[in-house]
Amino acid sequence: MSVLRLDNLCRSFGSLVVTHNVNLTIAAGERHVVIGPNGAGKTSLINQMGGQLQPSAGRVLLDEVDITGWAPERILHAGIARTFQKNNLFFNLSVLENLRLAVQARRASGFSVLRPAAARVDILARAREVLVQVRMDADADRLVRNLSYGEQRQLEVGMALAGDPTVLLLDEPTSGMSPAETVGMIDLVRSLPSSLSIVMIEHDMNVVFSLADRITVLYYGEVLATGVPAQIQANARVREIYLGASH
Amino acid sequence: MLEIDRIDTFYGESHILRGLSFQVAQGEVVCLLGRNGAGKTTTLLSIMGYVAPRSGSIRLRGRPIHARPAYEIARSGVGFVPQERGIFPSLSVRENLTVFARTFPGARWTLQRVYEVFPRLRERERNLGFQLSGGEQQMLSIARALMLNPDLLLLDEPSEGLAPMIVHEIIQVMRELKKEGLAILLVEQNLHTALAIADRHHVINKGEIMFTGTSAELEADESVKSRYLAV
Amino acid sequence: MEIYLAQLLNGLVYGMLLFLTAAGLSLIFGLMNVVSLAHGSFFMLGAYIALSVTRQTQNFWLALVLAPVVTVGIGLLMERLFMRPLYRRGHLDQVLLTFGFTFVFFDAVRSFWGSDIRKLAAPDALQGSIEIAGGMFSTYRLFLLALGAGLALILWLVMERSRLGAMVRAGVDDSAMAAGLGANIPALFSGVFGAGVALAALGGVAAGPVLGLYPGMDGDILIPSFIVIVIGGMGSLRGAFVGSLLVGVADAFGKAYVPALSMFLIYLLMAFFLLVRPQGLFGIKGGVAPAGMVVAVGAPFNRPQLARRLAWLALVVLAVFPLFVPDYHRTLVSEIFVFAIFAMSLDLILGYTGLPSFGHAAFFGLGAYVVIVLGSLFGLNGWLGLAVAIPVTAMAAAIIGFFCVRTSGITFLMLTLAFSQLLYSIAFKWRDVTGGSDGIGIASRPSFLGWSLDDPLALYYMTFFFFILSYLGLRRLIASPLGHSLVGIRENESRMRAIGYATGEYKLLAFTIGGTLAGFSGGLYALFNGFVSPEALHWSASGDVLIMAMLGGAGTLVGPVIGAAVFLLMKNLVSSWNDHWMMIIGAVFIACVMFFPGGIWGMLRDRVARVRS
Repeated sequence: MSVLRLDNLCRSFGSLVVTHNVNLTIAAGERHVVIGPNGAGKTSLINQMGGQLQPSAGRVLLDEVDITGWAPERILHAGIARTFQKNNLFFNLSVLENLRLAVQARRASGFSVLRPAAARVDILARAREVLVQVRMDADADRLVRNLSYGEQRQLEVGMALAGDPTVLLLDEPTSGMSPAETVGMIDLVRSLPSSLSIVMIEHDMNVVFSLADRITVLYYGEVLATGVPAQIQANARVREIYLGASH
Repeated sequence: MLEIDRIDTFYGESHILRGLSFQVAQGEVVCLLGRNGAGKTTTLLSIMGYVAPRSGSIRLRGRPIHARPAYEIARSGVGFVPQERGIFPSLSVRENLTVFARTFPGARWTLQRVYEVFPRLRERERNLGFQLSGGEQQMLSIARALMLNPDLLLLDEPSEGLAPMIVHEIIQVMRELKKEGLAILLVEQNLHTALAIADRHHVINKGEIMFTGTSAELEADESVKSRYLAV
Repeated sequence: MEIYLAQLLNGLVYGMLLFLTAAGLSLIFGLMNVVSLAHGSFFMLGAYIALSVTRQTQNFWLALVLAPVVTVGIGLLMERLFMRPLYRRGHLDQVLLTFGFTFVFFDAVRSFWGSDIRKLAAPDALQGSIEIAGGMFSTYRLFLLALGAGLALILWLVMERSRLGAMVRAGVDDSAMAAGLGANIPALFSGVFGAGVALAALGGVAAGPVLGLYPGMDGDILIPSFIVIVIGGMGSLRGAFVGSLLVGVADAFGKAYVPALSMFLIYLLMAFFLLVRPQGLFGIKGGVAPAGMVVAVGAPFNRPQLARRLAWLALVVLAVFPLFVPDYHRTLVSEIFVFAIFAMSLDLILGYTGLPSFGHAAFFGLGAYVVIVLGSLFGLNGWLGLAVAIPVTAMAAAIIGFFCVRTSGITFLMLTLAFSQLLYSIAFKWRDVTGGSDGIGIASRPSFLGWSLDDPLALYYMTFFFFILSYLGLRRLIASPLGHSLVGIRENESRMRAIGYATGEYKLLAFTIGGTLAGFSGGLYALFNGFVSPEALHWSASGDVLIMAMLGGAGTLVGPVIGAAVFLLMKNLVSSWNDHWMMIIGAVFIACVMFFPGGIWGMLRDRVARVRS
């Protein structure tokens, strides 16, 4: 049963094609990793799933509902949450406050003025739950700008989880992390509920092979191969583009 | 020519380069290889002074340059060709070449010579920067760096996104530059391009050098290739 | 025919003077991304320095050379010592810095040369007039045309044909790349800034014999120059030239044929361009770079114990204070209460939501006009007038906000300015209703709980009551989920969108609430003052309230209150024994922008926090 389906997705910027006839099916609970060289169109693809970028043609389906062209907020409320390649957080607010804003958005109470935010214990309780999920319960009151980069990456995942998604999009969750932090992130992603579907862009092959159920290789906007890790490793074309074609 | 000694570079809290050290000698082409996000471009940006390393030193001809602003580093003989090429869109091709040129009597690189090496640029002389194709932009970016008459050239993925014909042409030019004694530091993702020009290779992963060796050594080392470059 | 020609010529002359200011403004913006609000001040300084030179030497030509040189010296000092340290910060901080300097320069000119209108004598050789096509034209005006055209040509040659010009253009295109090829960007910045100042000062000298000299001529050239670069395209020299001549000629013909509408139409055009074609006619940059701004940071939702105790203390002191002081002080503090509400309302938009409004006086003035006009034309009771003012300003804020919140940074700043000037031009020209520049008053004030507001004590407690009410209301709002959402937008709007907030709606709501509260404070001001003039809507009133909020500490509620108090105390008390209150305000504001981005309150809070830890 597929949760997320891309149907002949295309996107170009002028003459530059970043996504070309991409078909992809993500099953419930699947951990799917997208790899490919620079400029292959990985982030553009995720942006089209999250609504940050509109496809030129084709469809994005969530539980077989066509969500193509929806605004990012609407897609988020429908159940797709994402993280960003570059940490994109409220750096002057505390960790808990960051998560509280994210939970508050999902509970449709952002406009509320009737009760002080501090009195909304339901929001606070959910924020604390996420805090534990991303293993930051000890850091609740620290300002985000005082966190290490790796901790900020962790919170980045927490911000997406706070929206109770069914599909989580992770854009290079381990980029810029030290080897030790990278191991921590692998652990964290593994510990997420098995019902959650994850689509992840990653460069670190160690991370890719530790987590992936299936892998898709993008090359100049096209799907070069999709399959289980062993199939991808054995694929001659994939090896060639990673080591470079001879001239 | 260039000595990099245990530099650590950060973006905010993100630790990108971790104690990186290597050298580039006169007339040598050194290549940095590695996956996306390994720290290759950051190494070039650190040398150029765009991102100052938090610790360690960078020396050019023995003189420390790591605390200097970018324009002083450029003026002390470093030509920089960035990944996105950095062509000034509202300047003509000719203006792009001459605006910051450092030519002097007896200089190796003049407008004349640049046009001989890249005849295409002479044809496009009056066009504005934004009217060029990707390959032309790449040539212009390299030619513009040469107009500074540098001792060291930094090239960030010059073959990226270009047709094989043009890549071949650029490789030829680099071989010629090397013969003239120019030191070149090249960032590449394409192993074949790297093997075609460079004398020595450093494979970087997560901001650290994992392998150093000649083209032959790299070609023979399947484990490095599969671990840090291949799938 | 002659009359058309004369108007055309006058329009072109004014256009040339605008060009001299707008060209520098535009070049500085193109390269440095900074809209220098002090640019009008350099125009003014140039003119006044020329006045002194001609008095000493009787030589206009010497003044035309010497005044720009001296002014450039002043400008470069400002750039080196004050703007350069802020290059790494947001561009908006630099804009605010230059705004602080407008106060300093204004005060300096007023105290050095006095407030009277002066005129620079045109040189003897250009005193006469020449006959063209049957009409007589002053030789000096023709000289101005030639001067403007000549300078435009020289500028064009330098920019397009010289290597220096190519360097500047390269810097505008991509300053980081230019640095990587050996361009000394800070030096290039200084050079372009200095050239811009020279042109503005030269314009000031040249304008002296035509427009006259007076403190305030800075703003009178700055605002039209803004319109020019918005229409022509920020960063474009050609745009500045075409835009100047267009605005100059449109102004001359507009004043002659549609005097009631000319100003209105020009501001409407400015708003139109900002919304529909933000790159202007010839601009190359797609709109304006978003500008960062530093406001009070720290833990915005935690109120320390100390603040709570201080609040109670302040409440008690303010409640008994008027019983022991003369009427003058009662009135002064009442005024502070009114402006504190105004400043807090701006802070909801500026400090909490992060939108740099430079036209907040629109709502204040509108609220005041509603109360006064209804009172004087229809004899409506002031309280009923206030009840009408609230929905009227809410509507105006919602409509203006609808357009403004689509933009951000400097475009937002310019757009709010354009809309407020639109309202200003209506108040200024619609004499039948607003009394035009004379203003309009009401015969009597209503009573407050059966106590006539003609009694300063009643006025005091009335404004105090509404101040407390506004403060508590805003505090409630800030602490609510909505308040947290607004801070989230200020801190990181793209993240807010990514976690599911439709931020546009939130910004519009904040703008509308802030505007409505400003309208309410304007209505109170009407009751307090019994009189209103277009000054209440003028852009400088928006500037004053911006200073109050930032000076006290934007991003807090107490800050704007402190800012309003400091500003009005300076204006009313310092001015009684010292002429330089504006200089002091300007200097303190500059210091705040540079060293205490959290303003006075932010600084105090930091100090307390540091002492405690």
